[in-house]
Amino acid sequence: MVNVAARSHIAATLVFIASVLLLYGKAPAWCLVIALAAATWRLLVVGGRLKAPKTRTGVRFLLGVVTAMLVIAVAISFRTLNGLAAGTALLLVMGALKLVEARLRRDDGIVVGVALFLLLAATLATQSLVNVPLYLLVVWGACAAIAIIADRGGALSPRAALRLSARALAMAIPLAIACFLFFPRFGGQFWAMQRGGQGTTGLSDEMSPGSISKLANEYDPAFRVRFDGDMPPRAALYFRGPVLNAFDGLTWRRERSKYYTGPQLVMLGEPVRYRVTLEPTNQPWLFSLDTLARVPRRDMFMAPHDRQLSASEPVTSTMSYDAVSHLATRAVTSLSDLGRRHETTLPLERNPRARALAMQMRAQSASDAEFARAVLAWFRDNGLEYTLEPGVTTVDSVDTTLFDSKRGFCGHFASSYAMMMRAAGVPAHVVTGYLGGEWNPVGGYLIVRQSDAHAWTEVWLEGSGWTRIDPTAVVAPERLERGIFDLLPDLLPATSSFLHNNAFLFHLEHLWDGANQWWQERVVEFNAHSQLDLLRKFGIDSPDWRHLGWAFAAGLTAWIAWVSLTLRRGVARVKPDRIGRAWLHATRKLARVAPPRTAAEGPMAYARRVGEHRPDLAERISALATRYATLRFGRDASHQDIAAFEREVRNLAV
Amino acid sequence: MAAWARRRQGDDQLPVTIATRRVYILPTRAGLAFAALAFVMLAAGLNYANSIALLLTFLLAGFGMIAMHLTHRNLVGVNLRAVASIDAFVGEHGRLLLTLDNAADTARIGLDCEVEGSPRAAVDVPARGSARADVSLSLQRRGRLAVDRIKLSTAFPFGLFRAWTYVHLQASLLAWPVPRGRREAPPETASGGSATALHRAGDEEWAGLREFRSGDSPRQVAWGAYARGRGLLVKTYQSPAAHQRTFDFATVPGEVEQRLEQLSAWIVAAHARGERYGLRLAGHSVSPDGGNEHRARCLNGLALHGTPDPW
Repeated sequence: MVNVAARSHIAATLVFIASVLLLYGKAPAWCLVIALAAATWRLLVVGGRLKAPKTRTGVRFLLGVVTAMLVIAVAISFRTLNGLAAGTALLLVMGALKLVEARLRRDDGIVVGVALFLLLAATLATQSLVNVPLYLLVVWGACAAIAIIADRGGALSPRAALRLSARALAMAIPLAIACFLFFPRFGGQFWAMQRGGQGTTGLSDEMSPGSISKLANEYDPAFRVRFDGDMPPRAALYFRGPVLNAFDGLTWRRERSKYYTGPQLVMLGEPVRYRVTLEPTNQPWLFSLDTLARVPRRDMFMAPHDRQLSASEPVTSTMSYDAVSHLATRAVTSLSDLGRRHETTLPLERNPRARALAMQMRAQSASDAEFARAVLAWFRDNGLEYTLEPGVTTVDSVDTTLFDSKRGFCGHFASSYAMMMRAAGVPAHVVTGYLGGEWNPVGGYLIVRQSDAHAWTEVWLEGSGWTRIDPTAVVAPERLERGIFDLLPDLLPATSSFLHNNAFLFHLEHLWDGANQWWQERVVEFNAHSQLDLLRKFGIDSPDWRHLGWAFAAGLTAWIAWVSLTLRRGVARVKPDRIGRAWLHATRKLARVAPPRTAAEGPMAYARRVGEHRPDLAERISALATRYATLRFGRDASHQDIAAFEREVRNLAV
Repeated sequence: MAAWARRRQGDDQLPVTIATRRVYILPTRAGLAFAALAFVMLAAGLNYANSIALLLTFLLAGFGMIAMHLTHRNLVGVNLRAVASIDAFVGEHGRLLLTLDNAADTARIGLDCEVEGSPRAAVDVPARGSARADVSLSLQRRGRLAVDRIKLSTAFPFGLFRAWTYVHLQASLLAWPVPRGRREAPPETASGGSATALHRAGDEEWAGLREFRSGDSPRQVAWGAYARGRGLLVKTYQSPAAHQRTFDFATVPGEVEQRLEQLSAWIVAAHARGERYGLRLAGHSVSPDGGNEHRARCLNGLALHGTPDPW
C-alpha cells in the first residue's frame, strides 16, 4: 500500500527544490540554503527519518518569530522589501517556512504555487536559451505534482502522473504558441520594480593602465551585431563605447562636468545599418560604429559633444537596438573655446618627459595634423612592444610606457598618445570600445567578445573634426586584421583555446551561439511591434490590436475545437450496437410471419415460436437466434463475426 | 442549480449513460488559485515584456484548459447500470450500491458518487469494465429515506475542475427502528410440525442438510461435510411441533416508537436464535417464518409503520 499523502508531500517538495535550484546565482545564497534545508527536512520527515514536532502553541510562536526575523533579514540585506530581488528572497524564505509547517494536502498545493512563482522569478532574471529546458522541466514537474496532490485514491502512479501531464502540456503547446504570437501585448510597464544586485561587466567609464588587459582574456560575448547589408571592412569595426575626457596622469575618466556644445557635423558616405544585441553589463554604456545618424531608441541618449551613446538605465538584461551609423563625417564648425579647454586639460606636473617630447615635436611640425602623424611615426619607430604584461606603472604612466618599459597594451598607447596631443595643445581624448569581432557564418552575424575590448584616441584636426587615430595600429598593425586570440594565443583559458582551435567544435560553438541569437531575436525580443509585423506578413496593411484580437480568438477557437475532438474520441460517443441493430432488423422482418417478440421473450423462445408459424424457416431462424445469443452474451465478438451476422440478417427472406 | 438541472433534464430511467449535455463543470478552489497564479504570471510577463514568462504562462493556461477537458471527459460516457439499496437501523449507515459501467478504452478514475446528505464515495471504473460505488448514508429517522437525485462527479486528474452530473432516480432506503427494549418476548406457541429450523432446541429431529444461504450462522454449517468436499451445507432440524412466536404491536405498552423498538429487538433476537416468528402490526401482519428475507420484511414493516408508504 502506497502512502498516498506522503507521495503528495514528496512531489510538492521535489518541485520546490527544482525551482530553488533554478535561482542558483540569482538569489542570495543564504535564502537558497534556507529553502533547501527546509525542503530536505520535509523530505526526511515525510520519509519517517525525522519526527515532526507537534503543533503546539509554543512551536507556532517560534515559527512566527522565525518568520519575522527572516523578513527583517531580507529587508536589511536588500534595504527594501519591494523589488524583484527582495521579492524573490522573500518568496524563498516564505516557501521554506511553509514547508516546515506543512501538514495537509492543501499545503502541498501552496508549495507548488510558490515553486511556480520562483520559476517566474527565474524567468525574469534570465531568459537565455540554455535555461529553457530547465524551466520546462519544472513546469512539467509542477503539473505532475498537481495531479499527484489531487489524487486521493492513489490510483495514479508518479509515472502515470508524469505521462498524463506531459500529454496535457504537449496539447497545450499550440495554444501557447498562438497566444505568444497573437495575445495583445502592451508597450510599457504597469509598475516598475527595482532590479539589480549584479556586478558590472565590460568596459566602464574609467581606464587605468591595465584595465583593458583585464578584459582581454574574457571569452564572454559583449554584444552581437547583425548587419543589414554588407559588413564594413574589419579595420573599420571600431565600436565606440565610453569616451574618456579627463586625465590625471594615470587614469582616464569620463567627467560629466566637461560638457560643451559639440561641433556640427556633415555625414559622409553611405550609412551602415545594423542591429546590436547587447549582453547585460549593469552599466548604461552602449556601443555603436563611429557616428550615429540618430539616437536608436527613445530610452537612449547621445551626448552631443562626444557622440557617446548611453541608455537611460543601466542595462540589466539582454537588449537590442537598431542603429544607423556613418563611418565618415566632417565638422563644419570649429571646436568651441570651452570644448578646446576641456579637451586639452592635463595635470601639469605629470609625465614631464612625454610632455617635453610633445612640445618639441609640435614646434617642429607645421600643423596639428602633421604633428599627429609625427607622433604616430615616433610610436612606430621607437621599439614599443605590444604585450599584455607591460609590467608595473608609476604615477607618470605615460613616461613609463614610452621611455622606460617601452611595453604596453592598447590602453597604454591610447593614453600616451592622447596625453601627448593634449600636452601640445591639440584637443584629444581616449575612446574605449571594441574592435573587430568574430564572424558567425551559421547565424550570419558578428560576435564581439569582451576580449575584443580596445582603446584608441580621437584628435581634433581643424578642417576635418574629430579624427580617429589608433596608436596600437602602428605598434601592432596585425591587431586590426585579427582577433586578440590569434595575436596572443596564450591568452585563452585552456578549454576555450581547445574550442577555438578545433574546427568541428568551433563550428558547433557557432551553431549554438546562432541558436541563442535566434532565440534572443525571435523569441525573447518578440514584442508588440513584432506582433504587428507578423500581421503585416499575413497581408494586413495597417494592423492594430483589434486584428491581433481576431487572430487570437481564431487561434483559440481552432485549438479548443481540436482539443475537444481529440479528447472526446472513444469516450463520449457510445459505440453503436451493431449486434442489437441487426437483431432488431431480423425481428422486424419476422413480424410479417408471426406476432412480434414480447419484451420478456428470449431469442431462443422467440425463434421456436416463429418456427411453429413457419416450419420451413424454423431451422434457419433457430440458427440465427443462436448466433445472436452467442454474439450478444458470449465473449468479445470479433468484427468478422458481427459482419457475418449482419449479412445473414440481410439475406433473410421471409 | 440542482432544481434547474432537474427541470432541464427531467427524470431518468436506468440504465443512464452520462451524455455531454448533462455534465456541468466549474473550477475548484485549487483551480481558481491556479488561474490567479497564471494571471499574476501574465501580468508580470506583460509588464516586463518578458517573452519566456509569457510563454510559460500561456503553456500553463493551456494546461489548465486541457485539465478541464480531461476532467469533463472522465465523466462523460459513464453508464449507471443499477442502484441497489441496503437498509439499516436508525443511527446506522444505510448504503446505496451504484453499479457503473465504462465502455471506453480508458479507465475512469476517481468518480465520486453522492446523494444528498452522504459523503462522497470514490470509485475507479476500469477500462471496458464495471465497478460498484458504495454510498453510505447516515439514517437519522425511522421510515423511508427517499433519494431522488444521485450526483456523480469527478475532479480527476488535476483537481483544478470538478465536473458533475445529476441522475434523477427514485431510490430509497429504509431506516428500521433501533432494536431496544427489555421486555420479555411473548411466549412460544406450538404450530404445525413441518417447518424446519436451523437451531436445535432439544426435542427436534435431524432433518438433513441443505445448501448454505447467506445469513446462515457458521455454527450451523456442516463443517464435516465441507471437509469432505461436499461444499457448504447447513444442518437443519425438524421439530415435531416447531415453536413459534408472534410479536404483536398491540400487546406492547408504551409510546409508538418505543413499542416499535421493542418489536425490533425481539425480531433481532429471535432471528439470531434461528427461531420462527411472526409480526402483527395495525392493519398488517407477517405470518411466522425464519430467514433473512423474513427478517427484512418484518423490519420493513416496523420502519414503515404509521407512514402512508405501502410495505
